[in-house]
Amino acid sequence: MEGSPIDIVIFAPLAVILGVLLFWFIQLLIIEFEKYLLSKIRQNHEPLCRFTNFLGILFQSVCHALGYTVTKSGISDFYISVNYGRVAPKRKKTGIFEWISNSFLFIGPFFLPAILLLIFLFFSKVTFEVMTPSQLLEVKYTFGGQINTFGSSLYSFSTSFFHFFLNIDLFHPGQFGFMLLLIFLGMGMRPSYIGEKKHEKVDMFYDLKNIWSLIRHKPMYILLLFLISYNLFYISLIFNQNWYVALFSIFGWLSIIAIVSLIVSTMILLLIKTTDEIPGKIKLLPYLALSIFYVLMRAIFFYYPVENSNMISLAVMIISTILITYLLLRLKTNKFKSKRDIKSIKKKGKGGTDEG
Amino acid sequence: MKDEDLLKDEKLEKVLSPHPLSFMKYQSLCIFLIVWGVLVFWLVTFSEYRGMIAIHEWTPIILWGVVLIVAGIAASLVAVRWSIFFLYLGIFLGGVGLMLWQNWISTAGSFIPVYMIAMSILGFLLVEWYRRSHKYIISNQRLIFKGGITTKEERTLRYDKISDLNAKQGIIGQIFGFGTIIPISQSGFGLGSDKAEAGGGIMLGEKKAKLFGFFGGGKEVQTPRTRSYYELHGVYPYKEVKKLVEQMVQGSVITPYQKEQVAFQKEQVDIQKQMRDLLKMQSESKGDAKEEGSEET
Repeated sequence: MEGSPIDIVIFAPLAVILGVLLFWFIQLLIIEFEKYLLSKIRQNHEPLCRFTNFLGILFQSVCHALGYTVTKSGISDFYISVNYGRVAPKRKKTGIFEWISNSFLFIGPFFLPAILLLIFLFFSKVTFEVMTPSQLLEVKYTFGGQINTFGSSLYSFSTSFFHFFLNIDLFHPGQFGFMLLLIFLGMGMRPSYIGEKKHEKVDMFYDLKNIWSLIRHKPMYILLLFLISYNLFYISLIFNQNWYVALFSIFGWLSIIAIVSLIVSTMILLLIKTTDEIPGKIKLLPYLALSIFYVLMRAIFFYYPVENSNMISLAVMIISTILITYLLLRLKTNKFKSKRDIKSIKKKGKGGTDEG
Repeated sequence: MKDEDLLKDEKLEKVLSPHPLSFMKYQSLCIFLIVWGVLVFWLVTFSEYRGMIAIHEWTPIILWGVVLIVAGIAASLVAVRWSIFFLYLGIFLGGVGLMLWQNWISTAGSFIPVYMIAMSILGFLLVEWYRRSHKYIISNQRLIFKGGITTKEERTLRYDKISDLNAKQGIIGQIFGFGTIIPISQSGFGLGSDKAEAGGGIMLGEKKAKLFGFFGGGKEVQTPRTRSYYELHGVYPYKEVKKLVEQMVQGSVITPYQKEQVAFQKEQVDIQKQMRDLLKMQSESKGDAKEEGSEET
């Protein structure tokens, strides 16, 4: 067996945990940006913000309820509204059970929407190249070896997932449904939410503080969690079956799906924020371009079929929308203008007022 | 509302109509028609099952009809309203009739989505017409509910006759800021009832000895419910309207302390009246006595 004993016994099990934590941190950063965008568009799009709040609260409440169900505490009260969610247990349990249900509440909303999307993907007959533990037999049980295996597993999943995602057929009801779900779930994938009134303290640090207090409150349980992980690694090592990486790879897949979902919904929020700056009804043009260019491209490719027509249609749709938005911003606002342009606009404006 | 319709000292506070999304339960029936129509088109034209569906020219029609009727039954059971089932059945039979009449059976895959979209547009228009037929007027003296497409209905409710206010806001209402307020009058107008019933039977014995038993029960719960014409259905902005109506009701309700004060004042007025009468009588009797004295002298 390659690698020093310290590497195998202490550092190797840490590799995949760190990998998952890295993905989770990226997720948290995008969520933070999404929350920033939502707070910026809130004034003009109150219903949309309320809707995303509702989704966020729904996931939080469902995760909390799942926590109580797993710990056999039971649920006596379940209530959700646009601004507030409440889940109360039938029997108040303390100790590890309370800790587990709180973990579900704080960490669950990161993964629950991604689990739903993963289930949808498996049911929609999308074939994924997934590395099974038996395929991971030649794995080195060192820090580097574990990272490599984890990376390879995620790479094979990502290749299949992105192949599906970039070739998504929006005329296929199932795939269109997946896209809608991806956008909606991405908007609600938040451990905390912007309530009826904006709370300054509800940000990434607020979420991290919650998780940190969960760890600090009961450090023994975190140690126990690490102990279970390490034991699983040792069992995998003894049986030479890399179940350990296989298990953590699932968390990796979920993070990849969640990140894609967050990026897509963030792009949509960014489009909404950008078009808000364009005055008049003409701001609807980028949204019309989204659908018109896609339908147009698909119609062209229906009569003149080419390879990767779905991907090209998506690319044309996105590029044309960006171009139209850019042109509208340049023509209708002061954005993307040089000082000279702005001066000429000001002169024109002055001339206009003088004439007027 | 015209000025001549207003009472003396009456002032208009708000004139409202239901929010466009407040009749979502009807609009969702139309949305289903579009979605299912498009799905039928996709299944018949593009899906991997198109070969299976194309085995007979009636297969797409049967598939379309079965799903439509099953959805109608499901929706009727959920909403406890069989009119949904009959509506979907009518749409199906109408579509089949049209196809048979025009001999479009072979092109059912193209006809069904067009027909379904046309039906849903018609549905949306009817819902919108129905929504616009509602008018709620909040004045400083009363609530006026006006509505009706062919028969015009009107209900007037004075604030002092409102004994209770029921307010509800669904998830869509919370998102878009509208909600329903049901004013319940002292006579119970604005109340409906939920009825739950259970029944069962037992049959014992195989050939000769038979024992049959039946048991059942019913439960009725009074709940705030009325027609959309008689409630402030899906009004926007909900919180503002609710506050206004509550203020109006509170302003018209006489509190026990005020009641006591009014009774006391009434008593005072009665006493003063009695005193005045007594004084009057006294002064009259004095005047008579003086007159008598002067006559004697």
